[in-house]
Amino acid sequence: MNVPEELRYTSDHEWAKSEDGRLRVGITDFAQDALGDVVFVELPAPGSTVEKGGPLGEVESTKSVSQIYAPVSGTIVEVNASLTDAPEQVNAEPYGAGWLVVIDPSDSSELDALLDATAYRATTE
Amino acid sequence: MSLRTSPLSSAHEALGARLVDFGGWEMPLSYPSGTVAEHLACRRSAAVFDVSHLGTVRVEGPGSFEVLQGELSNDLRKIAPGRAQYTHLLNDEGGVLDDIIVWWVSDDRFDVMPNASNTDRVVSRIGGTDVTTERAVIAVQGPGAREIVARVSEEAARVPHFGVSGFDFGGVPCLVAGTGYAGEDGVECAVPVDAAVSLWQAILDAGATPAGLGARDTLRLEAGLPLHGHELAPDITPLEAGLGWVVGWNKEAFTGRQALDIIRQRGGPARRLAGLLTDQRRPPREGDPVLAEGRTVGSVTSGNYSPVLERGIALAFVPSSTPNGETVEIDLRGQPTAAEVVKPPFHRMHPSSGAARP
Repeated sequence: MNVPEELRYTSDHEWAKSEDGRLRVGITDFAQDALGDVVFVELPAPGSTVEKGGPLGEVESTKSVSQIYAPVSGTIVEVNASLTDAPEQVNAEPYGAGWLVVIDPSDSSELDALLDATAYRATTE
Repeated sequence: MSLRTSPLSSAHEALGARLVDFGGWEMPLSYPSGTVAEHLACRRSAAVFDVSHLGTVRVEGPGSFEVLQGELSNDLRKIAPGRAQYTHLLNDEGGVLDDIIVWWVSDDRFDVMPNASNTDRVVSRIGGTDVTTERAVIAVQGPGAREIVARVSEEAARVPHFGVSGFDFGGVPCLVAGTGYAGEDGVECAVPVDAAVSLWQAILDAGATPAGLGARDTLRLEAGLPLHGHELAPDITPLEAGLGWVVGWNKEAFTGRQALDIIRQRGGPARRLAGLLTDQRRPPREGDPVLAEGRTVGSVTSGNYSPVLERGIALAFVPSSTPNGETVEIDLRGQPTAAEVVKPPFHRMHPSSGAARP
């Protein structure tokens, strides 16, 4: 299972990557593997606000529906529109082309509460 | 209760299968290629499935025909030794206790194949011997299935559609039927457990893609085939499920007959099983309400993403008065989604137009 060292994580299997104060978010390799083939992704509209730990969207596979939770509070500034027609990118490249959204955090201190790679790996063992 | 395992479980583990509990059996859900790829392999060439969890109840000896003819809904006089038949075991109310394939192996021998979790229920009604643990059942399905099976056994590949015959696999006598659950041509082989892994491996080596229960379910849904516990159940009659042809109306008597006669005399059932075709990818799920003009008129019994059509499809009970072609809504977890009422199978429909081929 791939858990990149440079990312931060939630115990709900989202990853977050700091990019100039903004946060790119996706689901982890562990999560995509557990879900199986992703066939549909629902994401919030750009400009909408999300609460830390609140619903961010849904990822659906052939076998189940999985709720995605926001790792931090903030405003959605970008969504991965290519997932509409190619949600399988979440399986193929969960940390790359399968990213979900970019959040502009409203409280940057919330980032400190996220897990590092070692702590996240421990939650999956 | 510990899970029962297939004679092929070591082969599944070697392939990296994800295993799940299905009807008390630990069976492969998918292999590393994933459900969608396995599904498409079956539609485009051939997939191989371990379906050893199906039961095999052997009914043999004088009087076997009469027992099955009296207990099962379909009419065995429509077929003959060397043929297979889809049939139901009904309760007194005409509800479906199980749906079954009967392999009429020879004059006085029938291999009755119930669903895994209904095997005991079937044995209690028809008798016979549960020989499930003595064999594995390997299904090879898809347009290329027979070509692949012919590389292993030309004898097996020649079995007619819904035929049953014996074949020899390296000196081991096996059975094969031209049956399946994918909406494709194909065969199902019953092989003694000691030879099961060799036959499985030979079929893989011949070019079939291993596919799990995940693909088996999306394939049968696209093909519009019912799954017991979903489209069929003790409180659902074959008439509601659109399977009146499974009822042997010309037989004298069988359990459930009277109830079905009464339903027919009253103008047929109030609800019917229909296909629902959406125009977007989000999978409908079992239990999602179906609405017409804002009122709930039914609910989804099975739903998923169709890998062939690349959109959500479902089976659902709707009022019998709802015609094909009508637009209804499925409440997809709070999102009303338009769906066209269609006659399955879905997989022969055009992905572009959404309508069935003329």
